[in-house]
Amino acid sequence: MEHIRKLAFAYVALLVLLGLTVGSSFLDLHGANTAVNLLIAAMKAAVVAVVFMKLTGEETLPPLVAVAVALWLAILFGLTLIG
Amino acid sequence: MTRAPESVAFDTVRREEAADRFGMWIFLGSEAMLFGAILLVFLVAHIRYLPAFAAASKHLSLPLGTLNTAVLITSSFTMAFAHESASARRWNTAAWTLGITAFLGVAFLCIKGTEYAKEFHEGIAPVMGAPFSYQGPDPVHAQFFFSLYFALTGLHAVHLASGIAVVAGLLLSWRRTDIDSRVRRTHAIGLYWHFVDIVWIFLFPVLYLVHA
Repeated sequence: MEHIRKLAFAYVALLVLLGLTVGSSFLDLHGANTAVNLLIAAMKAAVVAVVFMKLTGEETLPPLVAVAVALWLAILFGLTLIG
Repeated sequence: MTRAPESVAFDTVRREEAADRFGMWIFLGSEAMLFGAILLVFLVAHIRYLPAFAAASKHLSLPLGTLNTAVLITSSFTMAFAHESASARRWNTAAWTLGITAFLGVAFLCIKGTEYAKEFHEGIAPVMGAPFSYQGPDPVHAQFFFSLYFALTGLHAVHLASGIAVVAGLLLSWRRTDIDSRVRRTHAIGLYWHFVDIVWIFLFPVLYLVHA
């Protein structure tokens, strides 16, 4: 039952964050709209990864993959955007 | 849990299952690099041609996009529920929630299809040789926006369709599948499903909410 409550809580949080994303798009945040959108998307992705995919569970290998992917994507995006 | 590992490569079942999951995560990592690279192309173009992209983005249906995001988030929730149920050996609940998950996936594709139809009708779908007619500013770069939109959402839709097919296959062979395999398969397809959800979580604001 505890597990199910956690899933339900994550689900509600995801819908609230979706509402925030759409709501913020109607406001003029002086150029910060895109940053806010991406920040909320990252939060939603973190909720899905941690609660639904059990990324921070007992295993060490999945977080290792996630960190490696994040690192390579950061290099890819970083080097490109520097140019 | 006294069963032997299926492969001779592993001493214990626990190690075999850990390797299973690790393999799935590695696969998802490679998928993340694929979507990441295309998103990067979009991001660079977005920075370079911001006015054209912001104007073009207004032509996408925000209500349908929002509804679809909610549908996919719900499907991720039901998939997680299926995984919990399978782990707790509640087979009926697991099968039902897997069915609901697949159904929500199909609903997502139907809504997406409706959007595509609308975009083809408006002449803003520069794919498969369809005529492109756009009345807004900077039609050349607006066309680039729509090309990227169709590439990203099309690739995502193919992934989701694969996910639906695998869930349907799991359900069709449900009765014939031994209980340990049921849990393992539910877990593996669950990871894939959540990944496809995460991809959409990024695609939605990036495509539908472009601000000048």
